[in-house]
Amino acid sequence: MEILNQKPSRSPSVVTRKTGDEYIIVPVTGNIADMDSIFILNETGAFIWEQIDGAKSVEEIIGLVVDEFEIDRETATNDVLDFLNSMKEYLIIKV
Amino acid sequence: MRDYSLNIAGYKIKFESASDGPGLEPSARFEGSLVRSRNYDVLVKVHRGRFFLPREAKRVFHAPFTEEREGMIFKRSEEFWDVYRGEGDRLYVCTVFPLEKFMERGTLVFSLKRDIWELWIESGSKNIDPLTYPLDGLLLYYLTVIYNDIMIHASGVGFNDRGYIFSGVSGKGKSTIARLWNNAGARVIHDDRLIIRKINEKYCFFSTPVYDNDKPRQAPLSRIFLIEHGSENEIEPLNGALAVSQVLANCIQHNWNRDIIRNLVNAVTDMCKQIQVFRFYFKPEPSAIDFILKYDSEQKTY
Repeated sequence: MEILNQKPSRSPSVVTRKTGDEYIIVPVTGNIADMDSIFILNETGAFIWEQIDGAKSVEEIIGLVVDEFEIDRETATNDVLDFLNSMKEYLIIKV
Repeated sequence: MRDYSLNIAGYKIKFESASDGPGLEPSARFEGSLVRSRNYDVLVKVHRGRFFLPREAKRVFHAPFTEEREGMIFKRSEEFWDVYRGEGDRLYVCTVFPLEKFMERGTLVFSLKRDIWELWIESGSKNIDPLTYPLDGLLLYYLTVIYNDIMIHASGVGFNDRGYIFSGVSGKGKSTIARLWNNAGARVIHDDRLIIRKINEKYCFFSTPVYDNDKPRQAPLSRIFLIEHGSENEIEPLNGALAVSQVLANCIQHNWNRDIIRNLVNAVTDMCKQIQVFRFYFKPEPSAIDFILKYDSEQKTY
């Protein structure tokens, strides 16, 4: 899959805050925060989010998820791709 | 008068008429907040006349004039108030006064980093109230921004040594539940808008003057309830990021600046670590109060 070689990066148009194992992501559009569209990342989402730095490839992030959560590669691939697709849809990450 | 000071939610606000300024006359709703104080958190110098925005000022936030009826929001006029950003840290809030006959326009010139602000008012009246709606809420809001406090759509009550906030947007039942608590003998802090501050590591909430008989009130913050009308009284604890996101959605915010957004998210996140948040579905009858008191006494850990 071509996407596995992509290096996703975070959008600068968000404000984030970690609380416990979760993240709160507030999209900022045109300098106005949309408090009705706040995203919450669970532990897995938070871990994936922390790996997205514009330098790691999707393939590498999947490998890190496998190691971190001790799950099989297929499950990790589905988790990471689902996450990237939904976050991309809301312009929170760029792939 | 030429100057006076108010203490609202612990903020010391001094008003002073400039040499070209009008006489100052606070409305009845601020009488309970008048204090004698030489110190201030912010000094507002009041001028008479129109302030012309500098060319470089850019509008960053616009609010139309809306009206709430039966839980619905209707737009009455596009023109109301705007925030403009100028050079450096200079900000301008430009407003009309839709509820006043003799006041036309006001411009608050201020900075989040300075404690002396300037207010220009266009008015034919000899005396004016520099906190005429909507300047009251706007000035207080920007004080909460400076001090990393939280302004929230909520009613709040003090009962014995406990303080409860009931938060929700228009139509969720803030006034209804405040009335139920009042009937149960609680001290209603306010039924619509509160300021939450962390003072000496403890959270307190304060009233903001809205009604003519408003007196400054405050209570320690013990619990936050996000309210919904329900067919039964029911409580659901909210934790972590979900609690934070739900409280954030009810906060009053002009989030045109990333630092303001970040500070509010941080303030609410920190508060939710210390103060338990619940979703509360309630029946609009006295049983709702008994339900809360019973639940709180069973769950109380601090």
